[in-house]
Parts: sequence; C-alpha cells; structure tokens
Amino acid sequence: MRRPTALLALALVAPLAACASAESGPPTIAWYVNPDSGGSARIAEQCTEESDGAYVLTTTLQPRDAPGQREQLVRRLAAGDTSIDLMSIDPPFIPEFANAGFLAPVPDEVAEVVTQDVAEGAVEGASFGGELVTVPFWANTQLLWYRKSVAEAAGLDMSQPVTWEQIIQAAADQGVTVAVQGTRAESLTVWVNALVTSAGGEILQNPDEEDPQAVVPDLDTDAGRTAAQIIADLSAAGVGGPQLSNADEDINASMFEGDSAGFMVNWPFVWQRAKSAVEAGTLDQAVLDDYGWAMYPQSVAGEPARPPYGGVNLGVSAFSEHPDLAFQAAQCIVDPQKQAEFYLSDGNPPGSLVAFDEPEVQEAFPMADLIKESLQNAAPRPQTPFYNEVSTSLQRTWHPPRSVSPDSSPSRAEDLIVDVLQGRALL
Amino acid sequence: MSAATTGIPAATTAGAAAPTDRPRRPRRSDRGRQEARLGLLLCAPAVLVLVAVVGYPILQAVWDSLYSYKLTNPDARRFVGLENYALILSDPIWWQALWVTVLITVVTVVVELVLGFALALVMNNALGSLRPALRTAILIPYAIITVVSAFAFRFMFDITSGFVNTWLPFVPDDLDWFASFGTAVTVISISEIWKTTPFISLLLLSGLAQVPGELQEAAKVDGATWWQRMRRVTIPNMKAAIMVALLFRTLDAFRIFDNIFIMTNGAAGTESVSFLAYRQTIQRLEIGIGSAVSVLLTVCVALIALLFVKGFKVNLAASTRAGR
Amino acid sequence: MRTRTKVWWWVGGLLIFAYCLFPVAWIVSLSLKAPSDLDNGSFLPSAVSWQNYQLVLTGDASGLFLPALRNSVGICLIATAISVVLAALCAYAVARLDFPGKALVLGLALGVSMFPVISIVTPLFNIWRTIGLFDTWAGLIIPYLSITLPLSIWTLSAFFREIPWEMEQAAQVDGATTAQAFRKVIVPLAGPGVATTAIIAFFLAWNDFVYGISLTSTERARPVPAALAFFTGASQFEEPTGAISAAAVIVTVPVVVLVLLFQRQIVAGLTQGAVKG
Repeated sequence: MRRPTALLALALVAPLAACASAESGPPTIAWYVNPDSGGSARIAEQCTEESDGAYVLTTTLQPRDAPGQREQLVRRLAAGDTSIDLMSIDPPFIPEFANAGFLAPVPDEVAEVVTQDVAEGAVEGASFGGELVTVPFWANTQLLWYRKSVAEAAGLDMSQPVTWEQIIQAAADQGVTVAVQGTRAESLTVWVNALVTSAGGEILQNPDEEDPQAVVPDLDTDAGRTAAQIIADLSAAGVGGPQLSNADEDINASMFEGDSAGFMVNWPFVWQRAKSAVEAGTLDQAVLDDYGWAMYPQSVAGEPARPPYGGVNLGVSAFSEHPDLAFQAAQCIVDPQKQAEFYLSDGNPPGSLVAFDEPEVQEAFPMADLIKESLQNAAPRPQTPFYNEVSTSLQRTWHPPRSVSPDSSPSRAEDLIVDVLQGRALL
Repeated sequence: MSAATTGIPAATTAGAAAPTDRPRRPRRSDRGRQEARLGLLLCAPAVLVLVAVVGYPILQAVWDSLYSYKLTNPDARRFVGLENYALILSDPIWWQALWVTVLITVVTVVVELVLGFALALVMNNALGSLRPALRTAILIPYAIITVVSAFAFRFMFDITSGFVNTWLPFVPDDLDWFASFGTAVTVISISEIWKTTPFISLLLLSGLAQVPGELQEAAKVDGATWWQRMRRVTIPNMKAAIMVALLFRTLDAFRIFDNIFIMTNGAAGTESVSFLAYRQTIQRLEIGIGSAVSVLLTVCVALIALLFVKGFKVNLAASTRAGR
Repeated sequence: MRTRTKVWWWVGGLLIFAYCLFPVAWIVSLSLKAPSDLDNGSFLPSAVSWQNYQLVLTGDASGLFLPALRNSVGICLIATAISVVLAALCAYAVARLDFPGKALVLGLALGVSMFPVISIVTPLFNIWRTIGLFDTWAGLIIPYLSITLPLSIWTLSAFFREIPWEMEQAAQVDGATTAQAFRKVIVPLAGPGVATTAIIAFFLAWNDFVYGISLTSTERARPVPAALAFFTGASQFEEPTGAISAAAVIVTVPVVVLVLLFQRQIVAGLTQGAVKG
C-alpha cells in the first residue's frame, strides 16, 4: 500500500521490459521474490539503477507459504527453465536445491563478501555440506512475546530466561493462553524443531546424507520426548486457545491482541501488526504498551534456548544465462544499508548483523537487540535434501497437538520418516 | 475410462438415432457414403482433441505408474512393476482417503437430492412473477467458482473472522470447526452442497415438468394424499431425471478437491483421493506413486459409472447433457 | 386454504433466495471490512471500507490479481471459442448426418467429462514440462478443452436436434444460395443454442482450479482461482482474508451478469434433453 502506483507501473512494465531487453539493451535478471510489502521490488529498482546499465533486475512473485514457493521453483527448475536467474529460497529447502543441482556455485570472492558480519545461523542456513550455496539475505527468528501485566501477576521475572513449563503454569494460573503454531503446516515443524534443538537434540542424525535410504532420524531420544512432553503438557493444560490445532502465525497474532492473551512464540511481524492496528484505531495503545518480549523459552531449565531460524536466502539458478550478473545483483540486494531499509519498510530483520546498528532500526524496533541475539542462538531446521518429506512426516505424526505424547509421537515420526524416505509409504 | 465409454454407446444410440425420424432428403447409396464421410470428417477434430487431451495423458500415467520416479532425482528412475500399487493399497492413508471420499460423496449426493427436490417443487409451484427471479437466483451458486464458495464458507465458520459460532445457539463460541474430522467434513460438505444443489434442482425441475398433469389429477380424484401422489405418480415418472442427476453428481462429488484444499489442506484426516494424488505428484514430486494414485482414482470412477449404467440401468440416452 | 398454500410457496421461494444469496452476501460484506475490522465477529462490517478493492486493483496485490484476471478471461474465452467451434461441427454431424460411430463419439465425450481432472494433471504436468507448454496460455487452453468440449458436444447436439433443418431446404427451393440459406435461416436458429453452450462452457473453464494451480507457476498464465490461493497479507505470515474476498467478489461479478442476462437460456442448456431425449 505504500507506493501502489509505482508498484502497478512496475507490474505492468516488467513483462514489457523483459521482452524489450531480449532484443537490445542490458540483460534482464529475473528475481523470484517472496511476497512482501513491496520492499523487494524497491530494492530491484535501486539495484538496476546502481548497476549502471549492466543489468535490469525484475521481480516475479512467488506463493505465500514456503512449501508452495518450493513447489513452484522445483517444478520450473526440474524442467531446466532458463527464465529464472535469481530466487529467494527458504533455508530448509536449500539442500534439496543444491543436491538436485539447481544452484550455480557461489564464487569464492562473492562468498567472502556476503558472509561478512552475518549471523552464524544465517550462514549455516545458506550452506549445504559445509559449503556456501546461496547468498544470505534477511534472517528471521521467533521471540517469546508476553503481556507484561500477565507476567507480573504471575510473578514471573522475565528478565531471566524462562522455561516452557513456567509459562504454561503461569498461563494456567492466570487463565490466559500460550499461543503456539499448532496447525498442520511448516510452522508446526518450526516449533517442534525449536523444542527439540533447545532440549539438546536434532530431528535427524545425518542431515547431510544424500542417499534417502541412509537418513537416520533422531527423534526417539530424551530431547524428542522432552519436546513431545511440552506439547502434551501445553495441550493438557488447555492454554493453547480454542484453535490450537489450526493456529498459524496470523491467528496467534490476532489472539495475542485479544483479552485472553498471555504468552506467544512468534516472528517479530506481530509488533508491526499491532502498531498498525493501533494506528487504524482498532487496538488500544494500552494493549501495545503491554507487549513484552524475551528470548525464546527453554525446553530444559538452564539449557539455553535455540530459537527458530527463518528468513530468505538468494540462490542463483544453475540454468541462468547470466550467472555472473545474477551474483552481482545478489550482492547488491544484500548490501547492509538496503537490508536495514528493507527491515524498516517490510519488517523483515536483516541477516547482516551490522544492519541492526543503524539508528533508525534501533528506533523503529525496540526489540532489535534481542532479535540480533536470538539470531545468533538460532538453530536451523534439518539441512537435508529430503526436508519436504521429513517435515511433512513430522507434521503427520505430531498433529493435532492434543494427540502428541512422548511415548508414541517420537517413535511414530521416526518410523514414518524412514518408511517415506525408503519409498514404503504415502505422504 | 474404457468401462465408462463401453457402457455408453449402446445406451446413446437411441438418442442419437432420433433425428432420422425427421423428414430428410431422399437418400441414394453414394450420397449415404458421402454423408458418412462428411460426418466423420466433421467429428474428427473434436474426437482427435479429446483423445489427445485425455487419452494420451492417461496412457502416460499408466506407464509412469510402473516406475519409481522422483522429479528432483530423475537419474534414479527405475522400473518397479506394480510395486507402487502394492505400496498404495497397503497404506492406511489410501484407505482413509477413500473412506473420506466415499463418505463425502454419499452424504452430499443424498442431501443434494432431497434438498434439490424441495427446491424444484417450490420453483415448480411458485407463482409466475417469482419463477424467473428464483431461476436466476438459483443459477448463482452454480456459476460461482468453487474456490470462492470454499473461501466464503471457511471464513464464515472461522473462529476469528466468522460469525457462525455467535449465531448458532447450540454451538460453543470457541468451537473450531476445522479441528476435528466430523465438523471439518460437515463444513466441506455444506460448501459442496450449496454450490451443486442448484444443478440437481434444475434437472429435477425439468423432470417435474414431464410428469403428466392428467395422472396427477386422476390420483387426486381418487383421493390420494399429497405424499401418496408423490410416491406413486411423481417420483416414478421422474426416475430417469433422478438417475441422471445422481450419476453426474456422484461422479463429480467423488473427485472433490477444491473445497478440501482451501478449507483444511488435508488436515484433520480430510484428505480425499484427488487430494492424495495431488500431494504425491505436485507437492512431493513422486511422479510414479502419484500416477498410480491417479490410475486407481480413474478405476474407481469407471467402476461407479459402470455400476450406474449396468446396475441401476441408467438410460444415458435420456440425457444429452454432460455438465458438472 | 388456497391463499394459505400460496403464502407457503412464497415463503419457500424467499427461503431459496436466502439460500442462494446468503454466502454471496457474506463474501461481499467481508470484502468491505477493513483489515482490523475482520475479526469483529458479526456479519456486517462496522464501517464500509474500500481498502481491499484498492489493494487488489491498484495496490500491492494488483501485481498478482490483475494478470490473473487477464489470464482467466483470455484463456477461458479462447478455450470456449475453440470448443464451441469444434463441438458445432461435431454436433451438426451428430444431429443431421448418418454415419457409423456416432454413438461412439457421444460416448467418448461423456467418458471424458466424467474423468477425474487430477488423473490427467499428473501426466500433463510432465509432458508440458518436456515440451515447454508449462506455465503458458496454451498449456491451460488445451486441458480446458477436456472440460469444455464434451459438454459443448452434448449440449449442442441436443440443441441442433430441435432445429427444423428442412427450413434450409425450403429457402434453397425459394432460390436462396446455400450460403444465403445458411446465414439467413440456420444461423438465427442455431445462434441461441451456440450462445448458451458457450456460456456454460465458459462457466466450467472459469471454475477450474486443479489445472490452474498445477500447470502454472507465474503470473504469465496463472488464472484467478489459483491466484486466490496465493494472496498474502501485510507480511508473509498474515492471512489476506480481505484481499481474497475482494478478488472473489470481482471474479463473481461477470458470472452474475451472465446469469442475469441469460438465465432462461442457461437453464435450457443445462437441462436440455435431460428428460426429453
């Protein structure tokens, strides 16, 4: 909504530009972007300008959810489509792309520049098999959001790390909710992975393995059972809210603005959302003032939490006709200054740690330092070429939350992952 | 496919032959041959397109279903014979999907038939001024995109954006309709029923118009009650229309996909067979397994068509329509 | 007694109106709610807001919606035109000429129309990828024919059987040329049937979802029903309820207009020969 006319113009002109440049002028670099509030399109314009006629960067929109984005890209890349040059990819799907040979190798000099001052989790998420295969762009992480009034009434000291057990107990005592993403979708895997890694475990033993037959799940362990126990406790305490089994990030953000709000784990967009609602006059300023934020809850008391890691990295298609220009464009896109602007305009936190130090960022996002710290602790989801199968199997066996039990869910998930990867089961 | 088509030609001959009763030009034998050639020539483009668009892909699907073939790993493609079928038929997920599909099909078709009949009766008896308006209104659900209908009902029943829970007195305000199987299937079925009942009611309405008025009058004179007249006169005379409507709707309902995709995306155990095929092929990129699911779905549809045509003796000649 | 019965039929009629229009009214109402008003828990918006329409027509979502609208209209019109032309030739032959295999043609059409779309999608997706039809207009027009062509053949055959073809001969006897006889006599007689068939075929193509999401991947060819599932909110995590509703209303307008203009013909087309034989 910020610059509707410019966007419309771009949408109309982009295809024309693509046609025209095939004949003459600088080559077009097609960038497949994730939906945002127009920030990517703005960056594309800037980079086109800055390239000084070396290339024209155009954007094409991908679907809303990460698995949908993967499907679209994989379908095109499997066909050897040359019309994609640069693509925004959700980190968990990067190994699959790399393993299938869809990604052009990152030149060493590019790799050196784009990993400077970048959070370790973000570099890890951009790599496969110890090698950087994509360019880290923006990074995302979840925080523990809480209502200051609720925490105070429950006597929780939020300046210290808290555990899931504590917040479930506090919410039950105060009659409020703990909003978690319990819907059967990628966001459930995000939650489970955070619970498991925070308990010191991993979903897979050998995520790097390229042979599907040899992948070994690692869920039926103390860490996996701790994670299942937390979900079972939360569900049993009845604090998940009425829509627990369908709750996604949006439903939870909405619930957290309501009367029953207590705690929530969610991405930082909820802050922007609440601020807009206050501006629109549908939310009291008092509610916004009651918003508190803290580091992701611990699965095991005393063991530092590993918050979820999300975001987007830039991959250059192996079938691109201009890989060198595409890498040039990628470097332009991830420039810390642009990332800071992107953060301010679209609310997507930068992967580059220096971008957090921009004064405007500090001013607009009072929790910026916490996000930065959370990013440094964040654990990626299993970096396996078979991520889709692993994640979907997990969602099948750990949903709905009320059915999760430490005795059965971890072992059922292990069995299904193995069966699916060995081609013995449907998904 | 083959079963569906083999059942039909014999049945259609009567309908197709109808025009021959009309007065036509005197026929000479070479003229007849010429006519036959022209007829074939005129039909050829349409037939070729149908065979190419459907026949070829189906053969391809049968072929692909014999392979283990993942799109992101084409090098590992290998012949596995009927292994994919064995895998599917031994997996509880397939049987769950089949059960969901059969359940939704039976529930929606039965409700649609009853509701459609009621709508047809009202339209048949409505006063002159109201009738065209009713006919227009009833076409709107038919013409609306299924996806739009699915979204409308999803938002309606949603806890946060919807109003159904506040309106319905016997439902707790925080009931999440999409959380459990029973309620989720209910909402999916409601959307499906809303969208397709008008089609059934229009078919039944034209069937109602065919019931001879004198029979009705005679029964009335004999002192038959409304219900008796309905059972003895109206319904038997509409049998053809009812069976045709049933056949088309059953086959259509069995392919349910859009509503499930939009409303639950398969959660809460609501995956249909079509959805299962979509998930294997498009989401998982397992072309081999996905093709096998598609072939099995096709076999199911063909069996249903066969059941109707042979079992219930549906005279398709009585129907020159092929809508959905 | 008689007036009481009459009243009951009126009540029944009004109930039908409510049944047909209620969900439509709801989606219209939803599309007029401002984003922050969406969760107000009531049927009507607290205040009418045109924000969602701005969003899909000129705002951020327009880049997704407008091309989709263009694709849907273009692809459906072309698919309809092709299938009506092919079907007209075929139906003419079926209705007027005597030739072997006539029943087979109708049977084939019927079989194809009963076919599960999802079964064709898997192989088509694979073939299209190989020959470069994936994510193109032609890549959707061709499979749409599998939906529209069978219906067109059946409906048009039924219409053409009702046409008094002897009038053409009579005109020729009166001295008209074949072309004149066709234009002056047959076209006006066959016109309504062709138009009706075209409308119903268009509805079917317009409704498609499975082909739309499976065989496209960008705004180059993605049709509206698929685009509806692609909208996004202010951030990627927010559900775009308002934008979806506004877009849904916009794509419903053309079908409602067609229904209002042609309700008599559409009903005739849908039920043509269903019982007449």
